[in-house]
Amino acid sequence: MIRAVNKIQKIFVAFFAFGLISSGLASCGRTSSASGVLRVGNDAGFGGAETMDPYDGNRTWPTINMVFDRLIGVDKDFSPIPELALSWSSNDDLTDWTLELREGVKFHDGSEFDADDVVYSIERMIDPEFDSPIRAVLGVISSVKAISKYEVLLTLSTGEADLPLLLADYRALMTPVDSQATIGKEPIGTGPFKMETFDPAGTTVLLANEDYFFGKPKLEKIEVITFADSQSAAQALAGDQVDLLLAIDGKSSSMFGDESKFTLQNIPSGDWNAIDFRVDQEPFGDARVRKALRIAADRQVISDTVLGVGGGVVACDTPVWSADPYRWDGDCPKDTEGAKKLLAEAGYPNGIDIEIYTSDVEVHMVELVTAYKDQVKDAGIRVTIKMADASGFWDDVWMKESAFVDSWGQRPATQVLNEVYRSTATWNPTGQADKDLDTMLDEARSSKDQAERVKKYAQIQERLFENSAIFLPYHKTLTRAMSSKVKGVEPIVIDAVRWEQISVS
Amino acid sequence: MKNLARRVLFSLATFIALAIVSFLGIDALPGDGCTALLGRFGSDENIEACRQENELDESVVVRLTDWSSDLIRGDFGYSIKRDEDVATIIVPRLRNTAILGFVAALIAFPSALIFGLLLGRYPQKRASKVVNQLSVIAMTLPEFVIATVLWLVLSIWLPIFPGVSVMPSNASLSQLLPNVWLPALTLAVVIFAHSMRTMRASVTNVQNMPFVESARLRGTNERKIIKRHILPAALPPVVNVVALDGAWLLTGTFVTEAVFNFQGLGRLAIDAISDRDTALILPIILFGLAIYLFSSLLADVVVRVFDPRLRSSRN
Repeated sequence: MIRAVNKIQKIFVAFFAFGLISSGLASCGRTSSASGVLRVGNDAGFGGAETMDPYDGNRTWPTINMVFDRLIGVDKDFSPIPELALSWSSNDDLTDWTLELREGVKFHDGSEFDADDVVYSIERMIDPEFDSPIRAVLGVISSVKAISKYEVLLTLSTGEADLPLLLADYRALMTPVDSQATIGKEPIGTGPFKMETFDPAGTTVLLANEDYFFGKPKLEKIEVITFADSQSAAQALAGDQVDLLLAIDGKSSSMFGDESKFTLQNIPSGDWNAIDFRVDQEPFGDARVRKALRIAADRQVISDTVLGVGGGVVACDTPVWSADPYRWDGDCPKDTEGAKKLLAEAGYPNGIDIEIYTSDVEVHMVELVTAYKDQVKDAGIRVTIKMADASGFWDDVWMKESAFVDSWGQRPATQVLNEVYRSTATWNPTGQADKDLDTMLDEARSSKDQAERVKKYAQIQERLFENSAIFLPYHKTLTRAMSSKVKGVEPIVIDAVRWEQISVS
Repeated sequence: MKNLARRVLFSLATFIALAIVSFLGIDALPGDGCTALLGRFGSDENIEACRQENELDESVVVRLTDWSSDLIRGDFGYSIKRDEDVATIIVPRLRNTAILGFVAALIAFPSALIFGLLLGRYPQKRASKVVNQLSVIAMTLPEFVIATVLWLVLSIWLPIFPGVSVMPSNASLSQLLPNVWLPALTLAVVIFAHSMRTMRASVTNVQNMPFVESARLRGTNERKIIKRHILPAALPPVVNVVALDGAWLLTGTFVTEAVFNFQGLGRLAIDAISDRDTALILPIILFGLAIYLFSSLLADVVVRVFDPRLRSSRN
């Protein structure tokens, strides 16, 4: 026995010696920051199914925005600015748009960027067969034609004054002719960084494009490192294994309180949650009931409860987010008496019982209904929360049950209003067919004058607050965290961040 | 021998039955590979076309038959969502989890057996009491707390190990090893406490038995008592626990792998479940089943070989 114990002891000693040596190596292998190299954390949003094809549903963001460029970008105020297109103009109906392209731009393989690439890219984006998610944004484009080598004509199915903003979508990127088969794994773009190794489940490496038309990037290299879990990503930033996390869980922000080491940015975004009520199912067909359901809750309390204090910007049922030039800032305080009165008028003097479906398919969805239930009980609205299985939520519950939670990502005003509220929209979740709203939407997007459009979009949003079937209490605020060595990341949504301007000291 | 053959057959039958139940269970869940691929905004036509292309529109019986005949031929299937063979995805991660489990086992089991023996033999020593209390604490703490504490101490305060792993799934062994230590230590703490306490209880139980007493009265020296009398009787129940803990090391590492971003089977399983990639979930479940059945079978065999009672009946 003792001999056996001795033997085990020997094995032990050898093993721990090996451990120490290996950890010594580990200390050497601890990748710490180096100037000129930016290590960006990325979530495993598609679990390894990511592709670099920007038009594919599994496109890997933000890497696509380092490799490719759009025709039109946005500045800090969300106004359109030139990227690969230098200028744009339209006819009076806003149905024909002519874009002048930047000359002399080269793809990473040395070939020249011209109108044929634009035609190829946009045709793929709007191809009904391929059914890219970007088609929801640019579906208004019915055809695209090269007029000359550096000039293209876009023809729209309806007048759209804000086409430049739609073209600034982060996925509306320009890819070379006939690249469909190879672009997913070997992307060739015009952007500030060239793909070196693409490994969406591990570390993707990009190198600076010295010939970038906006000037040579300040960084030499970007590494995009994938984390399965937001906690491990936060640990990596705390341990100097990564320099920049585009979005952290607000609750982890206390880990990065040391201002000499970390910079935190709170960035209002256009992502929102909502509770949708089907107007074709009772009692939600009655506009008075709908309004009562929407005014009975304190939105600030809901936002603070669900997202944490400072985690959201209150919205009065408008999907247009706070930095959008068309945002209407109404006033929508909790109005318990008003809600009771509306319910009584609608024939529910003793209050009302409703069921709301939710699911943990996405974060915040269960918390939202829970907070809502607590808020509206004073007005006699008695909510029963129904939990649905996450795997079937989008297929079996969303748009089908009488009331359910919802979640949407950031979109420009014209897009989100037409995609969610227009009576004919495929994904109009409430089934509400407000013909007057459709007319107002048409008028707004076909007004050439910006001030006029601002007024018209404000009227539309006011109408939503009066009449819509969607309770939309907040837009989410993202928390971005980075090492204080990272410079040049402006506190604005990532769509407007210029990757070539970022540096690491 | 007859018993053993029966035991193997029984395990095989259990495996097949559970495999079929798993297939049907996952099939009954809402959503399939095509809804997973096309997501929330996939149109009905596109989902239908995808189902036809991947033969998901066949009846359950046909698909079950196809799937099992593929499996027998060693074809684990194809992930529509990831556009890759399941085997290609799983093999490197399986290797990583196996290395992680091996290192954790190497840290935990020998020390657990030695400490268990010492604590069982000398329960009155103050050190024994302290170690025993610590192991109770280690057992009650959730894995992610152990992981976070180890990370804080061994990566932030004393920068010895990399805090989280930032390596691809197919990293070479030398790239992998530095990243193994923190998750392996976390797992080792969990199983050490568990198997050490089983060993201690078993030794405590055995050392007061009449045959130990009688050996002692015969004047046998203490080393011999431990080696000849206590250990052979104390080990069999521990073997079963060690086998279960060993199986857990290969199948229960979800939390630890996620916390340390370790590219193993556990992290893959979490990804696959959150993506509803059924083609990928199923082989992972089957692997877990196989490991548990095999390890309990192995434990039975080991116990059969070493248990002195069985030995004496043979003589």
